[in-house]
Amino acid sequence: MEKIITLNDVTKEFKVLNRKEGLRGSIKDLFSRDYNIVRAVCNISMEVSRGEIVGYLGPNGAGKSTTIKMMTGVLEPTSGEILVNGMVPYIKRTQNAQNIGVVFGQRSQLWWALPVIESFNILKDIYQVSDRNYSDMMELYTSLVDIEDILHKPVRQLSLGQRTLSDILAAFLHNPSTVFLDEPTIGLDVSMKGKIRKLVKALNKEKNTTVILTTHDMGDVDALCRRIVIIDKGSLLYDNDIENLKGFFGSYRTVKVRLGREAEELTKENLKRLANELQQKLLDTHPEVNSLTAISNESWIDVLVHEDEIDIMKVVNSIQEHYKIYDLKLEEISTESVIRKIYEGEMQ
Amino acid sequence: MNKKGLRFYMRIYKKILAQDLKSKLSYRADFVISSIGMIFTNISAFITLWILFQNFPTVMGWNYHEMLFLYGFSLIALTPVQCFFDNNWSLRYYVFSGDFIKYCFRPINIFFYYISEVFDIKGVGQFLFGIGTLIYSWQKLEMGMSVLIFIKLIFALVTASLFMVALMNVAAATCFWLMGTGYIMVTAFKFKDYAKYPITIFNTVFRFVFTFIIPIAFIAYYPSLVFLRPDEIPILTWISPLIGVLFFYISYKIWMKGAISYDGTGS
Ligand SMILES: Nc1ncnc2c1ncn2[C@@H]1O[C@H](COP(=O)(O)OP(=O)(O)O)[C@@H](O)[C@H]1O
Ligand SMILES: [Mg+2]
Repeated sequence: MEKIITLNDVTKEFKVLNRKEGLRGSIKDLFSRDYNIVRAVCNISMEVSRGEIVGYLGPNGAGKSTTIKMMTGVLEPTSGEILVNGMVPYIKRTQNAQNIGVVFGQRSQLWWALPVIESFNILKDIYQVSDRNYSDMMELYTSLVDIEDILHKPVRQLSLGQRTLSDILAAFLHNPSTVFLDEPTIGLDVSMKGKIRKLVKALNKEKNTTVILTTHDMGDVDALCRRIVIIDKGSLLYDNDIENLKGFFGSYRTVKVRLGREAEELTKENLKRLANELQQKLLDTHPEVNSLTAISNESWIDVLVHEDEIDIMKVVNSIQEHYKIYDLKLEEISTESVIRKIYEGEMQ
Repeated sequence: MNKKGLRFYMRIYKKILAQDLKSKLSYRADFVISSIGMIFTNISAFITLWILFQNFPTVMGWNYHEMLFLYGFSLIALTPVQCFFDNNWSLRYYVFSGDFIKYCFRPINIFFYYISEVFDIKGVGQFLFGIGTLIYSWQKLEMGMSVLIFIKLIFALVTASLFMVALMNVAAATCFWLMGTGYIMVTAFKFKDYAKYPITIFNTVFRFVFTFIIPIAFIAYYPSLVFLRPDEIPILTWISPLIGVLFFYISYKIWMKGAISYDGTGS
């Protein structure tokens, strides 16, 4: 398949100056050699094909945004090669920019004072989109999301969710080959997250746009990505399909329980507390078990059980001894738990 | 893809400007208040000049109307930097918050993209004030007018504004390398206040500094000599358009160098 992005042994180091205070300090800084080296990205190699949606995951500070900034041509890699659409992004920044779209969650790139539609109009000129392609795209947008009421409002009057939505639409407007979405769903409510997932999925399908997505919300990953790439402390930990990944954790099961009718009304904090309490009780009753966890998930509590350690039925019985189970589901390990286990180093 | 020439950029600029004006005019109160502030600032400057010349008919060989001419000239020359390059004032906030990165993702010149974002309408009032002052002093000085003189005047004004824009570009760009550079912007902008005095009233050291180091003497003094002292135009006046273009180009290069090497902050 056609390779859109290639990273070959890419490393990025930042020189961080130990800055001094005041006027004299800043003059001294000009000549200072007092640097710390921060290695944000470390020998990363990967390839992305046209039309893929890749979940680029990792804990905070892992180097995700830095990688994206290199792929967009804003930062120059310290070593290694990057090719995007056959170009070296840092050398051909403007040409590369013509073929990509970028969204950084919580940092709108639209004109703050202008109505969204006017921003789109200016972008149309900047990217030299033909009238025809532009109106086709707008038609597609209107068929996918309800944008009529945001198009004519100034960006500054929009909610964070509406702003992100507009930013995503703006990023796809010139039909780029690749769109980079850096934490697009951060800080959004459930329904807006749903809208954005649906939109990105549809645009990817319709235009065969490659999407690189970073997020901390595994809901985004489940909804959009088949493949995930995980990095930590700048280094690549894992690059594969989610299904394969889940195969590594084949002997794990998620027991989803709802405790009592009132579970629906419990606040997030109380449900969290209840989950902690449940986990503690289960671990106390079964001292032979190490890896069992219970976390709240919407109105459910997800109990992750390693079947090599303990039988599922035993766990369910123990839960029932302490609480009244109102509803129960058995599922494979969730993406969320897989990622957590990888972060915790259980893949090595 | 077409090559992105002047027409491409003019088109985009016009579009942004039109939209921006439309949204600004919906905040009429803001506009009125800032205009009133501007009028008071300029009236007080007038009164200061007027009182000064009540006591001395000339200062170092410059009379009241000549001083007014310099003043009006500098007001007009300052208009471009105020109207079109105002976003330089916000540069350091964008740079330190990491938000500057958003200007790096578009397939157009970063300097253009950044500067085009803000048009400061307040400069327009000052511009009109400057024109009024210039016309008034021009008549009082009985300098006459012809097509040639008018072309010279436009040339001189453009040159003068290039210097001011360049000065502010450099001052703003320092934030790419240094922390806490607000005072550099403020200081550079304060220097414009000296631009409206004939350089001959300063001592030799300042004359040298204002000509060759922080070239504010080019903002009003040297160009004005063409009209006020047509018999003793120094060589610096003749080559000032060249120096202006060069100085602007250098300031643009410095600004761009900072922008291209921008690292962003971690996020
Ligand atoms: N401009 C910069 N200067 C210095 N250090 C940086 C810069 N940008 C990022 N870093 C550092 O590099 C590391 C990776 O950052 P980042 O790529 O933003 O991580 P992520 O997006 O995965 O949260 C962090 O330790 C961060 O502090
Ligand atoms: Mg990040």
